[in-house]
Amino acid sequence: MPLVRESPYRFRIERHGKMRVPGVVFATEALLPRAGEDRSLEQVVNVATLPGIVGASYAMPDVHWGYGFPIGGVAATDVDAGGVVSPGGVGFDISCGVRLLAADGLDVARLRDKLSALMDRLDLAIPRGMGQGAVWRLSGPSELDEVLAGGARYAVEQGHGVPADLRRCEDGGVLAGADRGQVGRRAVQRGLTQVGSLGSGNHFLEVQAVDRIYDSVVADAFGLSPGQICVMIHCGSRGLGHQICTDHVRAMDKSMMRYRIELPDRQLACVPVESDQGHAYMAAMAAAANYARANRQLLAEATRRVFADVLGVQMHLVYDISHNMAKLETHEVDGSPRRLCVHRKGATRALPPGHADLPDDLRAVGQPVLIPGSMGTASYVLTGVPANPAFDSTCHGAGRVQSRHQAAKSVHGKELQHQLEAEGIAVRGGSWRGLAEETPQAYKDVDAVVAAAEGGGLCRRVARLVPVGVVKG
Amino acid sequence: MSTESGHRLEPHTADTRVRAWAPTREQCIAEAVAALVESFAQLRPGGEPGEPAEFDVLPGPPDELLIAVLDEIIYLIDTTGKVPSSAQVMADDGGLRVLLELAGRDRIEVIGPVPKAVTLHGLEFSGDERGWSCRVILDV
Repeated sequence: MPLVRESPYRFRIERHGKMRVPGVVFATEALLPRAGEDRSLEQVVNVATLPGIVGASYAMPDVHWGYGFPIGGVAATDVDAGGVVSPGGVGFDISCGVRLLAADGLDVARLRDKLSALMDRLDLAIPRGMGQGAVWRLSGPSELDEVLAGGARYAVEQGHGVPADLRRCEDGGVLAGADRGQVGRRAVQRGLTQVGSLGSGNHFLEVQAVDRIYDSVVADAFGLSPGQICVMIHCGSRGLGHQICTDHVRAMDKSMMRYRIELPDRQLACVPVESDQGHAYMAAMAAAANYARANRQLLAEATRRVFADVLGVQMHLVYDISHNMAKLETHEVDGSPRRLCVHRKGATRALPPGHADLPDDLRAVGQPVLIPGSMGTASYVLTGVPANPAFDSTCHGAGRVQSRHQAAKSVHGKELQHQLEAEGIAVRGGSWRGLAEETPQAYKDVDAVVAAAEGGGLCRRVARLVPVGVVKG
Repeated sequence: MSTESGHRLEPHTADTRVRAWAPTREQCIAEAVAALVESFAQLRPGGEPGEPAEFDVLPGPPDELLIAVLDEIIYLIDTTGKVPSSAQVMADDGGLRVLLELAGRDRIEVIGPVPKAVTLHGLEFSGDERGWSCRVILDV
């Protein structure tokens, strides 16, 4: 794939073939996907063929091979010019995202003696893996309907959190436009027993310590201080979101011909946003997003309970942000404001200071962006910057370089646990192979990824967090 | 194309890719089901006998039949917490009839992340009288 280097942090793929826009890759030479092993740059090219795409098909520094869209891809389509929505551009795990809680007045030194007891309690309190239930036992489908409509706001109204939490959730914890009628029976069945569960794969709950503050004014506004203990929760919309994506991709795969849309990859299946099917997907996606936000709200409540019991400390919410979403946003394109459907598949919205969508207490400093590193390595809190060149988007994590298969062959889960514990990181795993698949060697260097994102003008560093304990999904 | 039956997991950075092959279309789908299960679970010997389950798939092209079976298996696993310990796939009037034996938690050791969806990316399923093979990526 010929790449034109535009700066030390930005490469361009010129338009060719059926591409409607160029590709833009934010990365350093060292972070570029390895040709042959990772076909994500081909996927950047494929995404550039989507009807109505504007600007470019963007890849964030953590980009890696996905299916249809690359993971770490951003694509915006012009809604009023036949622009499409593609469920694959959101991903199966709709509104998968990250929530960060900070413990009031608790630092590493105070935690150390009680770390083992804390991890044992979190191990019991955080349901994960197959058929292990969830924190919230819904009364039935009608209460699930409330979750799908109300998200984290409904959870807080039912006593699972405090109203202040909602000011620190993207969209106030509830995405407008959800329609239960667009959520199929199978999605409902999968969703009934999973509100407040971590899942498996790369999902986790991590106890972390603030290792470094890059901007004390912004960190203070976010509620973070040096040495402070935090909890990062990474999970999404569980089986319900996967089923909604499956159902809508299958339906669009069959109906694309009606819109004369031809694509190089069936997983990119899409329809115009302004079509009955497009509206149906957006309404179902919003319902799944609300499910994901309620899910993280319930896991946060379970975490708070454990911290209060074991350590007698309270926790405040720093932020809750998704990295698998499509959102209708207004951005300037060629000098005029356009209504765009911005797909972020493994990419995070990063609003700059002054943005109207920010809550009052964050407007001066920008939106917190939460970047989980790979297991056992650092994570970051970033903030948005003005004049972001990718529709206010940045990276979402470290980005895989090895398949799960290769990772599991490189180390045994038990050996990895010993290594992490030797570094002072307590581990409570789901399965041995699941643990091995998340070995840090399977991922890019998150420090390099975040530095490249900052170098590319996508965001700015606020704080670096290091792991103290991991509860693995 | 092989006339033997088998399956294996292949590397893919996004998630799990399974490859299966067999003399017939139906056997190849059954091998793909076995690969899906082996990607995350090991069955322990003994325990309660498996619970029988069955479902039908409407007629369609081969890739749609494969997807429909794997979609249904994933749905069953997610909603019952049980795992197919055996799968028999039979042609049935253009569609398929699938007979399963579902093993409960006492017979399952979860060894990896559970598949949550079947992707269309890079989907391959083809064959003839010499044998069938498929390649499919699962999201976990």
